[in-house]
Amino acid sequence: MKKLKEKIIHFVDNHMHIVFPAPAIITLFIIVIFPIIYNIYMSFNKWKIGLGSPNFIGLQNYIDAFYDPRFWNGLKVMLYFSGLSLSIEIILGLLIAVYFNKEFKGSNFVQTIYIFPFAATPVAIALIWCIMLNPQIGVLNYFLNLIGLPGSLWVSSPKTVILSLVLVDVWKWTPMVTLIVLAGLKSLPKDPYEAAIIDGANGFQIFSYITLPLIRPVLITALTLRSLDNLKEFDIIYTITQGGPGIASETLYLYSYQTAFKFFKAGYGSALIIIVFLLVLLFNVVMNKIRYRSEVL
Amino acid sequence: MKKKLFSIIFLISFFLLFTTIIALADINWRQFEGVEIRLLMNKHPFTTFIEPKLPEFEEKTGIKVIMEVLPEDQFRDKRTIELNAGAKLDGFMIMPGQAMLHYWKAGWLAPLEGFMTDPDLTNIKEWDLGDFFAGPMKSPRIEGHQIGVVINAEASLLSYRKDLFERFNVKVPETMEELEEAAKFFHKKVVDAKEMIGITLRGKKAAATSQFVDFLYSFGGSWTDEKGNANIASPESIEAFKFYGKLLREYGPKGPTMYHWAESTSTFMDGTAAMIFDANVFKSLYEDPKESKVVGKVGYTTIPAGPAGKLPHVSDWSLAVSGTSAPEYQKATWLFIQWATNKENGLGSLLSGVPSGRESSWTNPIFVSTDKTPDWTKGSLESFAIGQPQWNPPVLNVNEIRDIVGQVIVDSIEGKDVADSAKKAAELMNKKMEK
Repeated sequence: MKKLKEKIIHFVDNHMHIVFPAPAIITLFIIVIFPIIYNIYMSFNKWKIGLGSPNFIGLQNYIDAFYDPRFWNGLKVMLYFSGLSLSIEIILGLLIAVYFNKEFKGSNFVQTIYIFPFAATPVAIALIWCIMLNPQIGVLNYFLNLIGLPGSLWVSSPKTVILSLVLVDVWKWTPMVTLIVLAGLKSLPKDPYEAAIIDGANGFQIFSYITLPLIRPVLITALTLRSLDNLKEFDIIYTITQGGPGIASETLYLYSYQTAFKFFKAGYGSALIIIVFLLVLLFNVVMNKIRYRSEVL
Repeated sequence: MKKKLFSIIFLISFFLLFTTIIALADINWRQFEGVEIRLLMNKHPFTTFIEPKLPEFEEKTGIKVIMEVLPEDQFRDKRTIELNAGAKLDGFMIMPGQAMLHYWKAGWLAPLEGFMTDPDLTNIKEWDLGDFFAGPMKSPRIEGHQIGVVINAEASLLSYRKDLFERFNVKVPETMEELEEAAKFFHKKVVDAKEMIGITLRGKKAAATSQFVDFLYSFGGSWTDEKGNANIASPESIEAFKFYGKLLREYGPKGPTMYHWAESTSTFMDGTAAMIFDANVFKSLYEDPKESKVVGKVGYTTIPAGPAGKLPHVSDWSLAVSGTSAPEYQKATWLFIQWATNKENGLGSLLSGVPSGRESSWTNPIFVSTDKTPDWTKGSLESFAIGQPQWNPPVLNVNEIRDIVGQVIVDSIEGKDVADSAKKAAELMNKKMEK
């Protein structure tokens, strides 16, 4: 008995690098790695949920996606939505961070209020926006009418639906970008600024020649973090429009969900989600390369 | 004195004998005492009615009921996913026209005829199968098996503001032309300082198809032709799409392509719409003083006649037993269904506004004497009599095909080329239909 105990202790001592992280690795494998591998496997199959067993069809799902106009629509919507919302969030987040970086009376209070949207649950705020954006009873049109402007159809028109969703996304996520950039700004060295002021540089020059280059790695980090969420945005879009009107706001991610859980085509749905996964991966590899270069420079 | 005593004894013994016979005739409701069953329900007026009564059932049978209630979309997704994953689920609500074919082929539905005819499990006389409307009861039947019991026979009705129709002397529409005229008359009309909407309907893609189908049939169109090919691009079907789209585009609420039933009924209950065409079950919402501003002001009638006549659909919600559940649990769930669909609950649900699937509920003196909306009753019963049971495309992948057809409705509302959109949708439908 004693021998066995000693043996175990001996084993643990000698294999600490395996034994200690093992629970974490096993958990990670079960909840992250296995589903991904299973998803990849499923994407090579044709399977309607509940009917028969998966049928291996090789790359057919990916070929089908290539000829599926709804896939291209999803890709277009995804790029349009993400491109627009990410750029606005980064620019706006940066400008607001620069503003918050200056001490002013009540700045702590304003900053606290400002991060509220970021702290709120996405589905809850999406539901509230959904009512506010309603062209019939929504408060936004009411205010527009008050100041004499015509109301908009917001998410109810294919022309304005993406812009409206971008509005919600920007409102919700810009504070996060601001927080990251603000942390970066606070840690910047003071000397270049002092030197610039002595040399007679104006505010704009200081911003574009000192702040911007110094803060670039932080901005890229913020963009990377945001893009991870944004490219697979689901909660806000699904809650507000479910991809409508028609398919005007159906991103690839939503289409994949629709395919798997409404049409019950698990194989094709998996293939679509793998494509989204690859796109997000590709974007992040590129972003990492850029960040690496900007840090080296 | 002796005589009186004798008659009292006689009466008491007669009463005791009578109750004993009744007790003997009844089944043993406590045969599954201690069993716990889990049910998945749609947030539907029937669920609202039955949920508070669960303790009554639990007391009667000793069966513990766990009832999970979700909004319709999530309910449908969760039901499929849980059944596929083999989760513990013993019974659920189902619209046979929507999911029966898929669920039956997947083995997720238990045949109920064995339970229904088993005198140990069913109080055959009391439950009285023959009391259910034949049409709606036929709907949860597949390959000769009964897979559900109707809790709600559903037809769509044209509901209109009878106070305004009377005030402005507008004729209640009997034809599609009259429907358009009435919608046109009220649209943008300022009534009591409120700008009205002519008519509100569902315009949201797949969700709209279940109401659009009445227009499709009444215009002479259909989902498929005799050969089973898509028929949504036939001239009649195209006319129906055009008419439906025009109603919403020109006389409907703002942004109708996002209108599901919740948006449509809210607009009507808010008092801003003169008419609504949707399921008759929503009367319980229109007439709810806590929710609605139009209580007592609503008139009901069947769908107006189109070129092909008056052809509404009938659908139903049924309660089904899960095919994946263990036999003992299936039987316990059957006891629940038997209780939930008994005559008393049929009447109770009808009194709370759910169109019951039992004939006796509609003829019961309590209902007849308290019926505040006899036009609703008349319209519902007439629709049940003439209704078409096939309200969804006759395919396995109902959701996918509804989604395709729904796009034509959206295109029509947005004023796009309907013929072109319908043609494309028909091609896609032919490619994707699974039978």
